[in-house]
Amino acid sequence: MVKLIGCILVLFSASMVGWQLGRRYANRSSQLRALLLALQMLETEIVFGLTPLNRAFVKIGQRVPREIGNLFQTAAELLQTARELSTQACLQAAIDKHWPQTALRKDERDVLSSLAFVLGSSDVEDQQKHLRLAITHLHALEEEARVEQGKYEKMYKSLGFLGGLLVVILMY
Amino acid sequence: MNELFAVLPAPIRTLLNSLPAAVRDNLEEVRLRQNQAIEIRYGQQASYVTASGQLTSNSRLGWVFTEENRQKLINQISQHSLYAFEEELKRGYITVVGGHRIGIAGRIVMEHGEVKGIREITSFNIRIAREKKGVAGKVLPYLCDAPGKGICNTLVISPPQCGKTTLLRDLARMLSYGSEWAASRKVAIVDERSELAGCLHGVPQRDVGPRTDVLDACPKAVGIMMLIRSMSPDVIIADEIGRSEDGEAVWEAIHAGVSIVCSAHGNDLLEVAQRPMLGKLIQHGAFHRYVVLSRANGAGTIQGIYDKNLKRLERAQVAW
Repeated sequence: MVKLIGCILVLFSASMVGWQLGRRYANRSSQLRALLLALQMLETEIVFGLTPLNRAFVKIGQRVPREIGNLFQTAAELLQTARELSTQACLQAAIDKHWPQTALRKDERDVLSSLAFVLGSSDVEDQQKHLRLAITHLHALEEEARVEQGKYEKMYKSLGFLGGLLVVILMY
Repeated sequence: MNELFAVLPAPIRTLLNSLPAAVRDNLEEVRLRQNQAIEIRYGQQASYVTASGQLTSNSRLGWVFTEENRQKLINQISQHSLYAFEEELKRGYITVVGGHRIGIAGRIVMEHGEVKGIREITSFNIRIAREKKGVAGKVLPYLCDAPGKGICNTLVISPPQCGKTTLLRDLARMLSYGSEWAASRKVAIVDERSELAGCLHGVPQRDVGPRTDVLDACPKAVGIMMLIRSMSPDVIIADEIGRSEDGEAVWEAIHAGVSIVCSAHGNDLLEVAQRPMLGKLIQHGAFHRYVVLSRANGAGTIQGIYDKNLKRLERAQVAW
Protein backbone atom coordinates (compact mmCIF):
# COMPACT_ATOMS: atom_id res chain seq x y z
CA MET A 1 0.00 0.00 0.00
CA VAL A 2 2.74 2.43 1.06
CA LYS A 3 4.69 1.40 -2.01
CA LEU A 4 1.76 2.20 -4.24
CA ILE A 5 1.34 5.67 -2.71
CA GLY A 6 5.10 6.24 -3.16
CA CYS A 7 4.84 5.24 -6.81
CA ILE A 8 1.95 7.61 -7.42
CA LEU A 9 3.87 10.43 -5.71
CA VAL A 10 6.99 9.82 -7.80
CA LEU A 11 4.96 9.61 -11.01
CA PHE A 12 3.03 12.75 -10.13
CA SER A 13 6.06 14.88 -9.24
CA ALA A 14 8.02 13.74 -12.27
CA SER A 15 5.10 14.66 -14.53
CA MET A 16 4.86 18.02 -12.82
CA VAL A 17 8.56 18.76 -13.40
CA GLY A 18 8.12 17.86 -17.06
CA TRP A 19 4.99 19.95 -17.29
CA GLN A 20 6.75 22.95 -15.73
CA LEU A 21 9.67 22.70 -18.15
CA GLY A 22 7.23 22.44 -21.02
CA ARG A 23 5.25 25.44 -19.78
CA ARG A 24 8.26 27.69 -20.11
CA TYR A 25 8.05 27.29 -23.87
CA ALA A 26 4.36 28.08 -23.95
CA ASN A 27 4.86 31.08 -21.61
CA ARG A 28 7.68 32.45 -23.68
CA SER A 29 5.65 32.56 -26.83
CA SER A 30 2.55 33.97 -25.12
CA GLN A 31 4.62 36.67 -23.40
CA LEU A 32 6.33 37.45 -26.66
CA ARG A 33 2.93 38.01 -28.22
CA ALA A 34 1.99 40.28 -25.31
CA LEU A 35 5.21 42.23 -25.79
CA LEU A 36 4.50 42.59 -29.50
CA LEU A 37 1.02 43.83 -28.73
CA ALA A 38 2.47 46.31 -26.23
CA LEU A 39 4.95 47.70 -28.75
CA GLN A 40 2.26 48.00 -31.39
CA MET A 41 0.13 49.93 -28.92
CA LEU A 42 3.12 52.12 -28.12
CA GLU A 43 3.56 52.83 -31.82
CA THR A 44 -0.07 53.93 -32.08
CA GLU A 45 0.21 56.12 -28.99
CA ILE A 46 3.37 57.78 -30.27
CA VAL A 47 2.46 58.19 -33.92
CA PHE A 48 -1.23 59.06 -33.68
CA GLY A 49 -1.71 60.22 -30.09
CA LEU A 50 1.63 62.00 -29.50
CA THR A 51 1.15 60.75 -25.93
CA PRO A 52 4.14 61.30 -23.63
CA LEU A 53 5.92 58.05 -22.76
CA ASN A 54 4.85 57.85 -19.12
CA ARG A 55 1.16 58.16 -19.92
CA ALA A 56 1.43 55.75 -22.85
CA PHE A 57 3.17 53.22 -20.60
CA VAL A 58 0.43 53.44 -17.95
CA LYS A 59 -2.23 52.77 -20.60
CA ILE A 60 -0.31 49.84 -22.04
CA GLY A 61 0.46 48.44 -18.59
CA GLN A 62 -3.22 48.19 -17.84
CA ARG A 63 -4.09 46.42 -21.06
CA VAL A 64 -1.50 43.71 -21.59
CA PRO A 65 -1.00 40.54 -19.43
CA ARG A 66 0.53 41.10 -16.03
CA GLU A 67 4.12 39.86 -16.55
CA ILE A 68 4.67 42.34 -19.36
CA GLY A 69 2.27 44.97 -18.00
CA ASN A 70 4.22 45.29 -14.75
CA LEU A 71 7.32 46.18 -16.69
CA PHE A 72 5.55 49.09 -18.37
CA GLN A 73 3.94 50.23 -15.13
CA THR A 74 7.31 50.36 -13.37
CA ALA A 75 8.85 52.21 -16.30
CA ALA A 76 6.02 54.77 -16.18
CA GLU A 77 6.53 55.29 -12.44
CA LEU A 78 10.26 55.75 -12.86
CA LEU A 79 9.83 58.23 -15.71
CA GLN A 80 7.45 60.21 -13.55
CA THR A 81 9.38 60.18 -10.28
CA ALA A 82 13.10 59.49 -10.86
CA ARG A 83 14.10 62.99 -11.91
CA GLU A 84 17.81 62.35 -11.98
CA LEU A 85 17.68 59.31 -14.26
CA SER A 86 17.86 59.56 -18.03
CA THR A 87 15.09 58.04 -20.12
CA GLN A 88 17.30 55.09 -21.02
CA ALA A 89 18.23 54.45 -17.38
CA CYS A 90 14.56 54.49 -16.31
CA LEU A 91 13.60 51.95 -18.97
CA GLN A 92 16.61 49.76 -18.31
CA ALA A 93 15.89 49.73 -14.57
CA ALA A 94 12.32 48.58 -15.25
CA ILE A 95 13.56 45.83 -17.57
CA ASP A 96 16.13 44.66 -15.03
CA LYS A 97 13.55 44.57 -12.26
CA HIS A 98 10.91 42.54 -14.04
CA TRP A 99 12.93 40.32 -16.34
CA PRO A 100 13.38 37.41 -13.86
CA GLN A 101 9.59 37.10 -13.60
CA THR A 102 9.15 36.57 -17.32
CA ALA A 103 9.87 33.52 -19.42
CA LEU A 104 11.68 35.64 -21.97
CA ARG A 105 15.30 35.20 -22.99
CA LYS A 106 18.37 37.30 -23.60
CA ASP A 107 17.52 37.85 -27.27
CA GLU A 108 14.27 39.61 -26.40
CA ARG A 109 16.01 41.56 -23.68
CA ASP A 110 18.62 42.84 -26.14
CA VAL A 111 15.90 44.07 -28.46
CA LEU A 112 14.19 46.00 -25.64
CA SER A 113 17.46 47.38 -24.27
CA SER A 114 18.47 48.79 -27.63
CA LEU A 115 15.00 50.29 -28.00
CA ALA A 116 15.44 51.92 -24.58
CA PHE A 117 18.36 53.94 -25.96
CA VAL A 118 16.23 55.74 -28.55
CA LEU A 119 12.73 55.82 -27.08
CA GLY A 120 11.51 59.35 -26.53
CA SER A 121 14.63 61.04 -27.83
CA SER A 122 13.67 61.92 -31.39
CA ASP A 123 10.80 62.92 -33.67
CA VAL A 124 7.78 60.77 -34.52
CA GLU A 125 9.16 59.39 -37.78
CA ASP A 126 12.36 58.28 -36.17
CA GLN A 127 10.53 56.72 -33.23
CA GLN A 128 8.30 54.82 -35.60
CA LYS A 129 11.30 53.45 -37.49
CA HIS A 130 12.92 52.19 -34.31
CA LEU A 131 9.67 50.66 -33.04
CA ARG A 132 9.06 48.94 -36.36
CA LEU A 133 12.56 47.51 -36.26
CA ALA A 134 12.05 46.17 -32.73
CA ILE A 135 8.68 44.71 -33.72
CA THR A 136 10.22 42.94 -36.73
CA HIS A 137 12.92 41.46 -34.52
CA LEU A 138 10.40 40.28 -31.98
CA HIS A 139 8.23 38.79 -34.73
CA ALA A 140 11.17 36.65 -35.84
CA LEU A 141 11.81 35.62 -32.25
CA GLU A 142 8.15 34.80 -31.76
CA GLU A 143 8.21 32.58 -34.85
CA GLU A 144 11.22 30.80 -33.42
CA ALA A 145 9.55 30.48 -30.01
CA ARG A 146 6.49 28.94 -31.59
CA VAL A 147 8.53 26.33 -33.46
CA GLU A 148 10.38 25.52 -30.26
CA GLN A 149 7.14 25.29 -28.36
CA GLY A 150 5.78 22.78 -30.90
CA LYS A 151 8.97 20.77 -30.69
CA TYR A 152 9.76 20.77 -26.99
CA GLU A 153 6.62 21.47 -24.99
CA LYS A 154 5.08 18.04 -25.63
CA MET A 155 8.46 16.39 -25.42
CA TYR A 156 9.18 17.73 -21.91
CA LYS A 157 5.73 16.83 -20.74
CA SER A 158 5.98 13.23 -21.97
CA LEU A 159 9.58 13.04 -20.83
CA GLY A 160 8.55 13.96 -17.30
CA PHE A 161 5.84 11.35 -17.18
CA LEU A 162 7.94 8.66 -18.82
CA GLY A 163 10.92 9.45 -16.59
CA GLY A 164 8.66 9.03 -13.58
CA LEU A 165 7.40 5.78 -14.99
CA LEU A 166 10.96 4.54 -15.47
CA VAL A 167 11.84 5.29 -11.84
CA VAL A 168 8.69 3.52 -10.69
CA ILE A 169 9.43 0.45 -12.77
CA LEU A 170 13.02 0.34 -11.57
CA MET A 171 11.94 0.69 -7.96
CA TYR A 172 9.11 -1.80 -8.14
CA MET B 1 8.48 79.46 -9.54
CA ASN B 2 8.93 76.23 -7.60
CA GLU B 3 7.13 74.28 -10.29
CA LEU B 4 9.63 75.62 -12.81
CA PHE B 5 12.59 74.72 -10.59
CA ALA B 6 11.23 71.18 -10.37
CA VAL B 7 11.88 70.54 -14.07
CA LEU B 8 15.49 71.72 -13.85
CA PRO B 9 18.32 69.21 -13.25
CA ALA B 10 19.49 69.15 -9.62
CA PRO B 11 22.77 71.11 -10.08
CA ILE B 12 20.97 74.04 -11.75
CA ARG B 13 18.19 73.96 -9.19
CA THR B 14 20.65 74.18 -6.27
CA LEU B 15 22.55 76.91 -8.06
CA LEU B 16 19.46 79.06 -8.55
CA ASN B 17 18.25 78.38 -5.02
CA SER B 18 21.56 79.64 -3.61
CA LEU B 19 21.21 83.02 -5.36
CA PRO B 20 20.60 86.04 -3.10
CA ALA B 21 16.86 86.36 -2.45
CA ALA B 22 16.68 89.81 -4.07
CA VAL B 23 18.09 88.41 -7.31
CA ARG B 24 16.07 85.23 -7.27
CA ASP B 25 12.79 87.04 -6.80
CA ASN B 26 13.48 89.31 -9.76
CA LEU B 27 14.77 86.58 -12.04
CA GLU B 28 13.54 87.09 -15.62
CA GLU B 29 15.64 84.75 -17.69
CA VAL B 30 18.03 81.88 -17.16
CA ARG B 31 20.17 81.24 -20.21
CA LEU B 32 21.94 77.94 -20.68
CA ARG B 33 24.32 77.15 -23.52
CA GLN B 34 26.21 73.93 -23.76
CA ASN B 35 29.82 74.20 -22.53
CA GLN B 36 29.26 77.85 -21.59
CA ALA B 37 28.70 79.54 -18.25
CA ILE B 38 25.14 79.90 -16.99
CA GLU B 39 23.78 83.40 -17.48
CA ILE B 40 20.90 84.98 -15.62
CA ARG B 41 18.98 88.19 -16.24
CA TYR B 42 17.21 89.97 -13.43
CA GLY B 43 15.77 93.46 -13.35
CA GLN B 44 17.77 95.26 -16.04
CA GLN B 45 21.00 93.39 -15.38
CA ALA B 46 22.70 90.28 -16.67
CA SER B 47 25.29 88.21 -14.89
CA TYR B 48 27.03 84.84 -14.80
CA VAL B 49 26.73 82.64 -11.73
CA THR B 50 29.58 80.71 -10.11
CA ALA B 51 29.22 77.17 -8.81
CA SER B 52 28.62 78.51 -5.29
CA GLY B 53 25.82 80.84 -6.37
CA GLN B 54 27.84 84.08 -6.47
CA LEU B 55 27.21 86.59 -9.23
CA THR B 56 30.16 87.33 -11.49
CA SER B 57 30.83 89.24 -14.68
CA ASN B 58 33.69 86.96 -15.67
CA SER B 59 32.37 84.19 -17.88
CA ARG B 60 35.34 81.96 -17.01
CA LEU B 61 34.34 81.81 -13.36
CA GLY B 62 30.76 80.82 -14.13
CA TRP B 63 29.31 77.36 -13.61
CA VAL B 64 29.48 75.48 -16.91
CA PHE B 65 26.40 73.84 -18.44
CA THR B 66 27.61 70.39 -19.43
CA GLU B 67 26.45 67.90 -22.03
CA GLU B 68 25.10 65.64 -19.28
CA ASN B 69 22.96 68.38 -17.78
CA ARG B 70 21.78 69.41 -21.21
CA GLN B 71 20.49 65.88 -21.82
CA LYS B 72 18.75 65.82 -18.44
CA LEU B 73 17.15 69.20 -19.03
CA ILE B 74 15.80 68.06 -22.41
CA ASN B 75 14.48 64.85 -20.84
CA GLN B 76 12.72 66.78 -18.12
CA ILE B 77 11.13 69.52 -20.18
CA SER B 78 9.97 67.05 -22.83
CA GLN B 79 8.76 64.55 -20.21
CA HIS B 80 11.08 61.98 -21.81
CA SER B 81 9.07 62.27 -25.03
CA LEU B 82 10.61 64.66 -27.53
CA TYR B 83 8.29 63.41 -30.28
CA ALA B 84 5.28 64.82 -28.44
CA PHE B 85 6.70 68.33 -28.80
CA GLU B 86 7.28 68.46 -32.54
CA GLU B 87 4.94 71.43 -33.04
CA GLU B 88 6.60 73.31 -30.20
CA LEU B 89 10.07 72.49 -31.50
CA LYS B 90 9.10 73.88 -34.90
CA ARG B 91 8.13 77.13 -33.24
CA GLY B 92 11.28 77.16 -31.14
CA TYR B 93 10.00 76.97 -27.59
CA ILE B 94 8.30 74.69 -25.10
CA THR B 95 5.85 75.83 -22.44
CA VAL B 96 6.17 74.04 -19.10
CA VAL B 97 4.03 73.81 -15.96
CA GLY B 98 3.12 77.25 -14.70
CA GLY B 99 3.17 78.80 -18.15
CA HIS B 100 6.92 79.46 -18.21
CA ARG B 101 8.42 79.37 -21.64
CA ILE B 102 11.70 77.76 -22.58
CA GLY B 103 13.15 79.01 -25.85
CA ILE B 104 15.50 76.65 -27.64
CA ALA B 105 18.12 76.75 -30.38
CA GLY B 106 20.22 74.08 -31.99
CA ARG B 107 20.58 72.44 -35.38
CA ILE B 108 17.53 72.99 -37.56
CA VAL B 109 16.22 70.17 -39.73
CA MET B 110 14.58 71.31 -42.96
CA GLU B 111 12.08 69.51 -45.14
CA HIS B 112 10.56 70.89 -48.36
CA GLY B 113 11.96 74.29 -47.52
CA GLU B 114 10.23 74.41 -44.15
CA VAL B 115 11.56 73.99 -40.65
CA LYS B 116 10.75 70.44 -39.57
CA GLY B 117 12.21 70.55 -36.12
CA ILE B 118 15.31 71.11 -34.05
CA ARG B 119 17.85 68.39 -33.38
CA GLU B 120 20.79 68.66 -31.02
CA ILE B 121 19.27 71.38 -28.90
CA THR B 122 22.14 73.20 -27.24
CA SER B 123 20.83 76.61 -26.15
CA PHE B 124 18.01 77.24 -23.72
CA ASN B 125 16.40 80.48 -22.66
CA ILE B 126 14.18 79.90 -19.67
CA ARG B 127 11.79 82.85 -19.41
CA ILE B 128 10.09 83.14 -16.09
CA ALA B 129 6.46 84.10 -16.49
CA ARG B 130 5.21 86.44 -13.81
CA GLU B 131 1.69 87.00 -12.74
CA LYS B 132 1.24 90.58 -11.65
CA LYS B 133 -2.28 90.97 -10.45
CA GLY B 134 -3.72 94.42 -10.68
CA VAL B 135 -1.45 95.79 -13.41
CA ALA B 136 -4.42 96.21 -15.71
CA GLY B 137 -6.08 98.53 -13.19
CA LYS B 138 -4.13 101.47 -14.62
CA VAL B 139 -5.29 100.78 -18.16
CA LEU B 140 -8.78 99.43 -17.72
CA PRO B 141 -10.52 102.77 -16.93
CA TYR B 142 -9.43 104.04 -20.35
CA LEU B 143 -10.79 101.03 -22.18
CA CYS B 144 -14.40 101.52 -21.12
CA ASP B 145 -16.02 104.07 -23.40
CA ALA B 146 -19.18 104.79 -21.52
CA PRO B 147 -21.04 103.07 -18.72
CA GLY B 148 -23.11 100.16 -19.99
CA LYS B 149 -21.23 100.01 -23.24
CA GLY B 150 -18.68 97.39 -24.22
CA ILE B 151 -14.94 97.37 -23.91
CA CYS B 152 -13.08 99.28 -26.63
CA ASN B 153 -11.23 97.28 -29.24
CA THR B 154 -7.68 97.66 -28.02
CA LEU B 155 -4.21 97.11 -29.40
CA VAL B 156 -1.35 96.81 -26.92
CA ILE B 157 1.95 97.82 -28.53
CA SER B 158 5.25 96.98 -26.94
CA PRO B 159 8.78 95.78 -27.66
CA PRO B 160 9.62 92.29 -26.36
CA GLN B 161 10.03 91.89 -22.60
CA CYS B 162 7.97 94.92 -21.63
CA GLY B 163 5.09 93.05 -20.10
CA LYS B 164 2.44 92.91 -22.79
CA THR B 165 1.55 89.31 -22.05
CA THR B 166 1.36 90.14 -18.36
CA LEU B 167 -0.94 93.07 -19.12
CA LEU B 168 -3.22 91.03 -21.39
CA ARG B 169 -3.47 88.24 -18.83
CA ASP B 170 -4.45 90.67 -16.10
CA LEU B 171 -6.95 92.39 -18.39
CA ALA B 172 -8.55 88.99 -19.00
CA ARG B 173 -8.69 88.38 -15.28
CA MET B 174 -10.16 91.79 -14.39
CA LEU B 175 -12.72 91.69 -17.19
CA SER B 176 -13.76 88.20 -16.20
CA TYR B 177 -14.12 88.92 -12.48
CA GLY B 178 -15.53 92.37 -13.07
CA SER B 179 -14.24 95.56 -11.44
CA GLU B 180 -15.37 99.04 -10.52
CA TRP B 181 -14.82 100.19 -14.13
CA ALA B 182 -16.30 97.30 -16.03
CA ALA B 183 -18.90 94.72 -15.07
CA SER B 184 -17.96 91.05 -15.25
CA ARG B 185 -18.26 89.59 -18.73
CA LYS B 186 -17.54 86.47 -20.76
CA VAL B 187 -13.93 86.43 -21.86
CA ALA B 188 -12.35 84.11 -24.41
CA ILE B 189 -8.60 83.77 -24.90
CA VAL B 190 -6.88 82.44 -28.01
CA ASP B 191 -3.63 81.28 -26.50
CA GLU B 192 -1.55 80.27 -29.48
CA ARG B 193 1.64 79.92 -27.48
CA SER B 194 0.18 78.77 -24.17
CA GLU B 195 1.64 81.87 -22.57
CA LEU B 196 -1.39 83.86 -21.52
CA ALA B 197 -3.19 81.22 -19.52
CA GLY B 198 -0.26 78.79 -19.26
CA CYS B 199 -2.48 75.78 -19.86
CA LEU B 200 -1.37 72.30 -18.83
CA HIS B 201 -3.57 69.54 -20.24
CA GLY B 202 -6.08 72.21 -21.14
CA VAL B 203 -6.47 73.71 -17.66
CA PRO B 204 -5.23 77.30 -17.14
CA GLN B 205 -2.38 77.41 -14.62
CA ARG B 206 -2.72 81.16 -14.13
CA ASP B 207 -5.67 83.04 -12.77
CA VAL B 208 -7.52 84.31 -15.83
CA GLY B 209 -10.88 84.63 -14.10
CA PRO B 210 -13.98 82.51 -13.56
CA ARG B 211 -15.75 83.43 -16.82
CA THR B 212 -12.86 82.82 -19.14
CA ASP B 213 -12.65 80.18 -21.87
CA VAL B 214 -9.24 79.34 -23.25
CA LEU B 215 -8.50 77.92 -26.68
CA ASP B 216 -5.06 76.54 -26.00
CA ALA B 217 -2.32 76.24 -28.64
CA CYS B 218 -4.72 77.35 -31.37
CA PRO B 219 -3.62 79.55 -34.29
CA LYS B 220 -5.11 83.00 -33.69
CA ALA B 221 -6.98 83.50 -36.94
CA VAL B 222 -8.75 80.14 -36.72
CA GLY B 223 -9.22 80.47 -32.99
CA ILE B 224 -10.92 83.86 -33.14
CA MET B 225 -13.43 82.56 -35.69
CA MET B 226 -14.07 79.39 -33.69
CA LEU B 227 -14.72 81.36 -30.52
CA ILE B 228 -17.16 83.75 -32.17
CA ARG B 229 -19.14 80.81 -33.51
CA SER B 230 -19.07 78.54 -30.50
CA MET B 231 -18.50 80.43 -27.25
CA SER B 232 -20.42 83.73 -27.70
CA PRO B 233 -17.75 85.78 -25.89
CA ASP B 234 -18.07 89.46 -25.00
CA VAL B 235 -14.35 90.01 -25.27
CA ILE B 236 -11.71 88.05 -27.17
CA ILE B 237 -8.09 88.34 -26.08
CA ALA B 238 -5.21 87.31 -28.33
CA ASP B 239 -1.47 87.75 -28.07
CA GLU B 240 0.84 89.05 -30.80
CA ILE B 241 -1.17 89.40 -33.95
CA GLY B 242 0.84 90.03 -37.11
CA ARG B 243 -0.03 87.76 -40.01
CA SER B 244 -2.53 88.90 -42.59
CA GLU B 245 -5.06 86.21 -41.71
CA ASP B 246 -4.96 87.44 -38.09
CA GLY B 247 -6.01 90.87 -39.38
CA GLU B 248 -8.97 89.43 -41.25
CA ALA B 249 -10.09 87.53 -38.14
CA VAL B 250 -9.84 90.69 -36.01
CA TRP B 251 -11.86 92.58 -38.60
CA GLU B 252 -14.44 89.79 -38.60
CA ALA B 253 -14.69 89.80 -34.80
CA ILE B 254 -15.18 93.56 -34.61
CA HIS B 255 -18.07 93.33 -37.03
CA ALA B 256 -19.55 90.40 -35.14
CA GLY B 257 -20.10 92.65 -32.14
CA VAL B 258 -17.31 91.18 -30.08
CA SER B 259 -14.70 93.42 -28.47
CA ILE B 260 -11.15 92.42 -29.15
CA VAL B 261 -8.05 93.08 -27.11
CA CYS B 262 -4.77 92.04 -28.69
CA SER B 263 -1.10 92.92 -28.75
CA ALA B 264 1.60 93.50 -31.34
CA HIS B 265 5.38 93.87 -31.30
CA GLY B 266 6.63 97.39 -31.92
CA ASN B 267 8.32 100.36 -30.29
CA ASP B 268 5.55 102.88 -30.86
CA LEU B 269 2.38 103.60 -32.80
CA LEU B 270 4.22 104.96 -35.82
CA GLU B 271 6.29 101.84 -36.23
CA VAL B 272 3.28 99.56 -35.94
CA ALA B 273 1.28 101.67 -38.39
CA GLN B 274 3.91 100.92 -41.04
CA ARG B 275 3.36 97.19 -40.89
CA PRO B 276 1.11 96.09 -43.76
CA MET B 277 -1.70 94.32 -41.95
CA LEU B 278 -1.72 96.38 -38.75
CA GLY B 279 -1.39 99.63 -40.69
CA LYS B 280 -4.54 98.79 -42.61
CA LEU B 281 -6.46 97.97 -39.44
CA ILE B 282 -5.34 101.23 -37.85
CA GLN B 283 -6.25 103.23 -40.97
CA HIS B 284 -9.72 101.77 -41.02
CA GLY B 285 -10.17 102.62 -37.37
CA ALA B 286 -10.52 99.04 -36.22
CA PHE B 287 -9.09 99.83 -32.81
CA HIS B 288 -10.48 102.46 -30.48
CA ARG B 289 -7.64 102.38 -27.99
CA TYR B 290 -3.88 101.91 -28.26
CA VAL B 291 -1.77 101.16 -25.22
CA VAL B 292 1.97 101.62 -25.71
CA LEU B 293 4.38 100.00 -23.27
CA SER B 294 8.11 100.41 -22.75
CA ARG B 295 10.87 99.61 -20.31
CA ALA B 296 11.61 103.25 -19.46
CA ASN B 297 10.85 102.75 -15.76
CA GLY B 298 11.19 98.99 -15.67
CA ALA B 299 9.10 96.43 -17.49
CA GLY B 300 5.51 97.50 -17.90
CA THR B 301 5.93 101.27 -18.08
CA ILE B 302 2.84 102.72 -19.75
CA GLN B 303 4.17 105.15 -22.33
CA GLY B 304 0.79 106.32 -23.36
CA ILE B 305 -2.78 105.47 -24.17
CA TYR B 306 -4.20 106.75 -27.45
CA ASP B 307 -7.72 106.88 -28.82
CA LYS B 308 -9.14 106.02 -32.24
CA ASN B 309 -7.73 109.21 -33.80
CA LEU B 310 -4.32 108.50 -32.30
CA LYS B 311 -4.80 111.31 -29.77
CA ARG B 312 -3.06 110.80 -26.45
CA LEU B 313 -5.37 110.21 -23.51
CA GLU B 314 -2.90 110.04 -20.69
CA ARG B 315 0.49 111.41 -19.91
CA ALA B 316 1.41 109.30 -16.94
CA GLN B 317 4.62 107.34 -17.15
CA VAL B 318 4.12 105.12 -14.18
CA ALA B 319 5.84 101.80 -13.60
CA TRP B 320 3.86 98.98 -12.05
